[in-house]
Amino acid sequence: MLKPERMVKISVVGPKEKLAETADLLHRLNLVHIEEPEESEYFRIGEPHPEASVVSRALVQMRSFISHLKLDPTKIVPRRKFRESEIEAQLKEKLDEYQQLIGERIEYLRSVDEKIASLEEQLNQIEPLKRLGIPAKLLKGYKTLSVFVGFVKEDPTEKFAQVTSDFEVFSTEYEKELVVAVFVKAEYGDEFLRILQECGYREIQVPDVEDFEAKISEIQKEIESLKARKEQVEKEIEEVKVKEAETLLAIEEYLSSQMDKYELPLRTLVSKYSFVLVGYIPAKSFNEFKAKMDSNGVAVEVLDEEGEPPTKLSNPVGVRNFELLTTTFGIPRYKEIDPTVFIAIFFPIFFGMMLGDIGYGLLVTVLSLYLKRVFKTEGWQRMLNIGVYAGVMSIVFGFIYGECFGPFIVPGEYEPYQIHFIGSQLEHLYEFHHGHPIFDRVEEMGVKILLFATILIGIAKILFGFALGFYNVYVEHGFKEAVLEKLSWILGVLGLAMIIFGFAYNVGVFYQLGVGPDPGNVPPLPLPGLMEGWQAGLNMYYIAALPLLVIWFILFVMGEVPKMGAMGVILAVELLTWFGQIMSYARLLAIGLSSVYIAFVINFIGMKIIDPVGISIPILGAIILIIGHVGNLILGILDPGLQSLRLHYVEFFTKFFEGGGRLYEPFGRIKRFIEE
Amino acid sequence: MVEDALAKGLIAVGAGLAVGLAGIGAGLGESGIGAAAVGATAEDRGFFGLGILFTVIPETIVIFGLVIAFILMFAF
Repeated sequence: MLKPERMVKISVVGPKEKLAETADLLHRLNLVHIEEPEESEYFRIGEPHPEASVVSRALVQMRSFISHLKLDPTKIVPRRKFRESEIEAQLKEKLDEYQQLIGERIEYLRSVDEKIASLEEQLNQIEPLKRLGIPAKLLKGYKTLSVFVGFVKEDPTEKFAQVTSDFEVFSTEYEKELVVAVFVKAEYGDEFLRILQECGYREIQVPDVEDFEAKISEIQKEIESLKARKEQVEKEIEEVKVKEAETLLAIEEYLSSQMDKYELPLRTLVSKYSFVLVGYIPAKSFNEFKAKMDSNGVAVEVLDEEGEPPTKLSNPVGVRNFELLTTTFGIPRYKEIDPTVFIAIFFPIFFGMMLGDIGYGLLVTVLSLYLKRVFKTEGWQRMLNIGVYAGVMSIVFGFIYGECFGPFIVPGEYEPYQIHFIGSQLEHLYEFHHGHPIFDRVEEMGVKILLFATILIGIAKILFGFALGFYNVYVEHGFKEAVLEKLSWILGVLGLAMIIFGFAYNVGVFYQLGVGPDPGNVPPLPLPGLMEGWQAGLNMYYIAALPLLVIWFILFVMGEVPKMGAMGVILAVELLTWFGQIMSYARLLAIGLSSVYIAFVINFIGMKIIDPVGISIPILGAIILIIGHVGNLILGILDPGLQSLRLHYVEFFTKFFEGGGRLYEPFGRIKRFIEE
Repeated sequence: MVEDALAKGLIAVGAGLAVGLAGIGAGLGESGIGAAAVGATAEDRGFFGLGILFTVIPETIVIFGLVIAFILMFAF
């Protein structure tokens, strides 16, 4: 937690003939993140195992079967696992069997598809001729006549008539085009062809068929029998799929592992008699690893740390789900703080603060739990776990806000039962609090308190971000840099916060919240020269802000001017950006309020239709309620989700998180269908 | 009394304008960034996180508008 797992850089050195054995062992341990080697005078990159090409061919074949069968290894929970020796023993046999059971059938299906396509093409030629109604033998084989049979886009008869009157045209409509048979003396043939081409002529090859009708039904029968055959073969393949799924995937896994091992020399340096392999392993596994390698007759040594180790995030189980959100932004570098735990705490809280509705929260939770059973891949599982946390937090905040599919109390002269379909029940539920929500965010006072609270959260979160940044810079570049780069901003933001408090004090926010005295009628900002009697506006917050901002400015100039020159001073304007980012936390209130009012409007319209003065149409009302709430729920998942993420990415991470690390990817693989 | 109602109405109109115009501005800003971010994500999935970050940056403008609206509604 907070830090990626500690790594040590190691070298594995041994005699060349041990390389295959070592590859086997390393693959089984699944521990070493191998660094890509650089060649030198004596050490060259090794060559893959001679068997590699054979294995690779088999692997390609297996993968083509698996992709044709649409087997998804992440969705299949193996009923039994295979032993490696078991697969090794029957590998050849099984490959041949699958070639027969699947490979040949796939080939056959392909040939059937081709046949069907060619038959359908024949049909497409005969159908229009049948419509024309002229027997095939009359359509060709003349000596003194030219015959044209085909499709045209417009009727060419008039154009023909301009050339000669001695011709015959038969035409009929076929699928929005015209089918024509044109008979004319051979001497006019070329002329007629030109005219036909102007009309968009496409020739039909006249087949040697006695009876179109009979031929068509013959072809159709053939297509049908081919299709039946195809279905039959597909069913057979499906049977194989059901029966052999695990075996297929186990063999694929075995071959992939084999391939990894055979190709290990490509990531290893070899000399005439020895090999060297450089990589990282987690520090806590080092002793065990060294002992295993020693007994294998291979030397392991710890190297000096130059270059950056890969990052292996290590978080407790529940927090691990949120690594998805962290790594979407960037992979923490080895020495950086891993912010996953903060996003794990604040993401659901922010989501809940925004959505804050018992009904919607319940739906989000149930939906996530249901989808978890459908989508089994790791990425989906993590995302849906996040959905469950977010949903539960929404329920908690929904209870605090007193909302279940919308509020049951809104400003104005409405009774709960008038504006909410279960308004009376909700009012009853909150009897312990005199029929009012614990915190009512729709009435004016609630909005004010929440607005102020969100800005406080913003200030706290941004200061916290800079504090983490202080630590990161301190570790990487030392204390002085950290003070100049991050502590200066902490002071600057504190100064800003004081100005915000001062402003809030002067406009009477503290007084209205009941935590401060009445400031009376004073100018909100004590700007000398701009406001008359600005002295009255001075309060302790403004006075506290002054030294903070002065120290901030001095530290900032000390930090920026050596780097940027005198122009660096202008960058102090950036302080205003932090003001914007503090205000940005007001969305915690704003997004929520918008969805509350949408829900209220939906309920209001629905109730008006169900229980109006005139005619009641309960079904229409129910439909409006359902469609409206589904739409609002979709918005309610997307928007708070994205906004909560954004508050982390933009306003929080940018203060300390640089990213750009590499993920720890050990040599080996997690076996799902093969047991050790 | 009439003047009071008028003032209230104008404040409401002002609050609406603050949010609405800020929204239009943010939308205009976001459209270009969003299109570019989707393009970049199509090239490289790893850009997704950064893409979201860039896309939502102008959204803060709306929050400013909203804060102004609240100040108008409550402080006057």
